[in-house]
Amino acid sequence: MDEDNCMVDVAKFFLEFTQRESCGKCTPCREGTKQMLLLLNKISEGEGTMEDLQTLEDLANMVKEMSLCGLGQTAPNPVLTTLRYFRDEYEAHIREKKCYAGACTKLLTYMIDPDKCKRCGICAKNCPVKCISGDRETPYFIDQETCIKCGTCYEKCPFGAISKE
Amino acid sequence: MSEITLIIDGKECKGVSGDTILEVALKSDVYIPTLCYLEGLSPMGSCRMCVVEVEGSNKLLTSCTTPAQDGMKVHTKTEKLYNYRKQILELLFAGRNHFCMFCSQSGDCELQTLAIEHGMDSVRYPFLYHDFDNDATSEHLQMDHNRCILCGRCIRVCAEKVGAHTLDYEKRGWNTKVISDIGAMLGDSNTCVNCGACAQVCPTGTITIREFVYRGRRNDCDEVVESICPLCSMGCKIKGYVRTGSLARVEGLNVTGPDGGQLCHKGRWWLPESTERKRLSVPMIREGTTFREASWEEALELAAGKMKEAHSKGHAGAIISGMSTDEELTLYSDVFRNSINMKYIDCFNGDVLRGFRKGFKPFIEQEVRPFTGAHNILESDLVLVIGADPQEEAPVTASYVRVNTVRNGGALVNLSSDKNPFGDIVDLDARISKEDLQKCIKNLVEAVSKGDTDKAGTGKMEELARMLLQASKPVMIIGGNVAKDPVVVTQVVNLAIASEGFFDDGLGVVPMVRSGNSLAALNTIVGDEPWVNEADIDCLFVSSTGLVPETPESLEAMSMSRFCVVQTPYMVHPLINMADVLLPAPAWYEKSGHFCTIEGERRTLRVIVPPKTELKGLSEVLSVITDKMGITLNSSDVRPCENIFQSKVSPDKARMAVLEEV
Repeated sequence: MDEDNCMVDVAKFFLEFTQRESCGKCTPCREGTKQMLLLLNKISEGEGTMEDLQTLEDLANMVKEMSLCGLGQTAPNPVLTTLRYFRDEYEAHIREKKCYAGACTKLLTYMIDPDKCKRCGICAKNCPVKCISGDRETPYFIDQETCIKCGTCYEKCPFGAISKE
Repeated sequence: MSEITLIIDGKECKGVSGDTILEVALKSDVYIPTLCYLEGLSPMGSCRMCVVEVEGSNKLLTSCTTPAQDGMKVHTKTEKLYNYRKQILELLFAGRNHFCMFCSQSGDCELQTLAIEHGMDSVRYPFLYHDFDNDATSEHLQMDHNRCILCGRCIRVCAEKVGAHTLDYEKRGWNTKVISDIGAMLGDSNTCVNCGACAQVCPTGTITIREFVYRGRRNDCDEVVESICPLCSMGCKIKGYVRTGSLARVEGLNVTGPDGGQLCHKGRWWLPESTERKRLSVPMIREGTTFREASWEEALELAAGKMKEAHSKGHAGAIISGMSTDEELTLYSDVFRNSINMKYIDCFNGDVLRGFRKGFKPFIEQEVRPFTGAHNILESDLVLVIGADPQEEAPVTASYVRVNTVRNGGALVNLSSDKNPFGDIVDLDARISKEDLQKCIKNLVEAVSKGDTDKAGTGKMEELARMLLQASKPVMIIGGNVAKDPVVVTQVVNLAIASEGFFDDGLGVVPMVRSGNSLAALNTIVGDEPWVNEADIDCLFVSSTGLVPETPESLEAMSMSRFCVVQTPYMVHPLINMADVLLPAPAWYEKSGHFCTIEGERRTLRVIVPPKTELKGLSEVLSVITDKMGITLNSSDVRPCENIFQSKVSPDKARMAVLEEV
């Protein structure tokens, strides 16, 4: 794991697995992991609040102590440990609506640097939602409202003119 | 079974080793919230509400599943547990549709009660609106899966007490749902016996009974009366909920008994329905094709007059319902048998009862009880069903058979002339015609008593003889149809003796005697010889509870007799069409008395709702009749079921009856 891994995303990854595998017998694991996953999704999409963070932590502690089997008892661990050691990343997602690791796609902004842009048009041609406009004279421009943050333009630009923040 | 002591919330609580922490707590009236736990069903530990803190353990433990140990110090109501339980309740409310204002169970719901107890005034999680279907395919039950908390009580009661195992979980995790069979709707299920046990144990409004919803929550009812169901000889205990003078709901007792508090498809639905039928409220006398109302004086005068006249010529008869109480049967017996010495007296299913009476006689003379309480089927290792359909004749007996076969590993054999009522769970199924049955049982008796399976015959009979020799506690269920032949009855009891089917209370036989108090009728009312369609009757006295249709033979006898006095609670057809005088009688829920049940005990019927109009009790009616007939009442000292219930001799000392060669 390096600086390109978002710890919120890592927690979400493990929780997605345990929530899907939950057998459903006991209430904390069955309902709790589902609600925890929804909270993590909310945070990683920039919709989370500081109150959600508290709810998430309380829920995680409850699920850990009250679950019937080892799956429920360990499912909240990634959430709890990332909250303990990487709380600042969670707070950035919430307060600044930014994912500094660049992993949470909803929080990314792809921008074309007009100085570096050579107006080749490759990005626009490959954009799946056709949100890039421009031509030989005008620098190319990404419409943020329509952009789905797939990263295709970023990959395709031969001049590295697109930045990801 | 050593005694253990726990300290729960600082209070000393005693139990025995083998108890769970929850059981010890309940014994000392310590309250621990529960949802999936129900006394009588196997504990599951899935709702996590009963979780407690035990000193010395860093884990929280479910008190319903954890065995209690001597010296444990338990805390059930700490702040942490309160918060955790509240979170679980909030999760449940957020997960599915728990909007109380639209639910018929509101006010009578265990989930709601717990939420109120834990001060749940808001839900901090978003409502997820999981969209399940509302299964309304069953005739009486409705299953709204959106209210389900997956506690599993319905599944466990259906599997452990009813033996049908219709319900179970489908899929897993968040998508878990309780389904019938392998995905059918409840109304389309092949295994559901429509007993409603699932609805009785459901803590929320998931499984509801159409007849009872919105008629009164359990807590709202003015009275709860414990009585019994009179329909069949099981005499299942019921709770009648009374609200504003009506019977609002009928339920079984709690799940702890061997019958698991279950009722059957007859008791649960017919009993409340019977309170809504048109009642006969005043005596009526026939005029042509209609009736006119009359006073008791006039009606009884007419009835007594006709009876007297008919009896003087020896042409008077009486047919009495086998669902009458012990006390009523004694009265009828005192009047018709002992005082009037009437020859033509019988029960509605007289043929069946006569067969049992004659068949049991050799053993009653030995002072051995020739049958065992039906719940002992659960202790048996081989159940032999002979010409019976327990699901129709005494449905809870069928539940015992299913549970014993599927869960306890007992063997099940079906001998019948035409069908196998238990389907795939039977180990051996053979078709024996009515004509061959006597010989077949006789051969089995010989084979088993001599230890020689060849004597039973070949193939399936030889196999059956082998199974009987191996069984240590076999039970034989005798169907009403085949019991009409008393020789078959005696032979089957002989077979029980030969195979050593000995139980604490009697021999390993369960007789399908049909009506509620048939056992009591055996030595009070049942006539010695059949006469119903053969005798020339001038005046016939009929007493019917109006709960089940009368047999065609009885209706024919009624239509053939010149004058018919009918004592019944309801205006039911075709019964009243046959009557010349109608005398209103109290309905089953308006009277009290005792019933002799095939569970091996005398049970009490109690007044649930008193009669709304002025009815005359039986003793008053009969005393007026005997008065007008100019007869003195001779009380007999025959107590309805005494000679049948008493087992003065230990069952294992019973001797086989010797039958003359026919």
